[in-house]
Amino acid sequence: MIDIAGILAENILYIVMVTLGGMLISWSVHFVPVGGAPAAMAQATGIGTGTVQLAAGAGLTGLVTAGAVMNVSDSFALVVASGAVGAMIMIAVTMIVGTLVYVYGVGVPPASAKVDYDPITKDRQDLYVSQGTEGHGLPTVSYVSGVIGGALGGIGGATIYYSLMNTSTGLSQSDLVALASIFAVGIFFVNAVIPSYNIGGTIEGFHDPKFKKWPKAVFASFVATLMCAFVGVLAIGGL
Amino acid sequence: MEPLMGMGVLALMGAAATIAGTTEDLESDVGSQSNPNSQVQLAPQMMYPHRIYNKAISGEPPSNALICAIGGTVASVLMTAGLSVVFAIAVGALIATAVHGTYAITSYMGRTASQKRFKQPIYLDIIRSHTPVIMGYAFITTFCILVVSYIMVAVLGHPFPLALIAFIWGITVGAIGSSTGDVHYGAEREFQNVEFGSGLNAANSGNIVRKAESGLRNGIDNSWFCAKFGGPVTGLAFGMTVFLSGWVTAVFDPAISITWGWLSVVAGVVLVLLMIIWNRRIEVAAREAYGPYKEDEEVAA
Repeated sequence: MIDIAGILAENILYIVMVTLGGMLISWSVHFVPVGGAPAAMAQATGIGTGTVQLAAGAGLTGLVTAGAVMNVSDSFALVVASGAVGAMIMIAVTMIVGTLVYVYGVGVPPASAKVDYDPITKDRQDLYVSQGTEGHGLPTVSYVSGVIGGALGGIGGATIYYSLMNTSTGLSQSDLVALASIFAVGIFFVNAVIPSYNIGGTIEGFHDPKFKKWPKAVFASFVATLMCAFVGVLAIGGL
Repeated sequence: MEPLMGMGVLALMGAAATIAGTTEDLESDVGSQSNPNSQVQLAPQMMYPHRIYNKAISGEPPSNALICAIGGTVASVLMTAGLSVVFAIAVGALIATAVHGTYAITSYMGRTASQKRFKQPIYLDIIRSHTPVIMGYAFITTFCILVVSYIMVAVLGHPFPLALIAFIWGITVGAIGSSTGDVHYGAEREFQNVEFGSGLNAANSGNIVRKAESGLRNGIDNSWFCAKFGGPVTGLAFGMTVFLSGWVTAVFDPAISITWGWLSVVAGVVLVLLMIIWNRRIEVAAREAYGPYKEDEEVAA
């Protein structure tokens, strides 16, 4: 018989950390400038793919880096920072190559349709938006926002992985790594999907009016991740 | 590991990842997958029937994650059974490719059949000519990602199981392919009937180019065009992601001491800052080269 109360009492800190990690991922997704199908046709500012896809691609790359570092170090701060760096590198590379394609392959300058002036560079935006589109490419503000989103997502994913790896269990190390990493990937996806209801296909970054809706998604993620955390910690702790 | 050896391994991984990224994008161009496929799907409804392969099995990241995870699982099982690594990876990729081919055909048949009311025919010659190309590209992608994953597990000692690393790289290559190379296909190749750089008015939706350089355009014509720019830059992006994310920990190995671990974090942040500056420089150059679309009018304060 599994001692459910005992496992939960012993690992309460990790349940809290997993939940916080999930909430962080949910918040991070709002920073990532995605334009969905319209952006793939250069009809909207941002990266031309779906919210979940890009956030997951970046966050999971961070998880790979965090997993490699956790293999050789016990420092929570270092593991989390490595997760952030891995995710930031993935999203920064994707966005820079995206910019190359928009500028040299499609021939449109980066421009935001949500603001008249870029909040970071103070460049005029509205004149550079082509007719019949909602902006295109990645102006500096969207780029910086994407990097912040990648970092937060990487931190969230690494926190979840670190917490699950430290849950008290009778599993062998290799089984624990496999189980913890699969739970981390699963919880990541749950929290990458929830904000897409707020974003509704396109968001330009933290300067977009839709960004202000983040508290709702983060609250929903709190509820969802708490349940995931119970299941994850119980499954790993009970084995 | 010796630093020089580590760099050699990383270079091999980067090269394999570059090929994987390129073929991933070209696979999605031949078969028309991901976001630009919305236009291929829309065209018959706007009375523009076409001869372009219409396969959107799912978004690119899940579909690539599926084939890479299948390949990784099969390869793991075969390696456990004592077969050689190269054989195991090749057979794993082959089985994944067969699954992908099945999905591609059913997807094309299903999607096109549902457009009967818009008089969009199902072209059997398109299935016969395009599906092997799609499967060929999918095989190269899966094979290269399995090579990267195997090197990470067996040589670099990554703790994650092979199948999971392959799954994660599958998600990543799909996310990169649909963010970078697909834009070249969706925003340029599908709409070569509008002036280059004029932007794509939403009113043009569905009016994709249906005539090729010779005859009627199909998916292979699209991959011929995208292989000149969209495909290689996707490879560049995925290769850079795999290489740089491994490079920071190969040069500043966290196994030596925690200080080196923090130096690797600093190196990663510096790389990202350099890319922010690079993006800004391209932005400025593009604004100067192309100029504004509209005359300046005072914006309301």
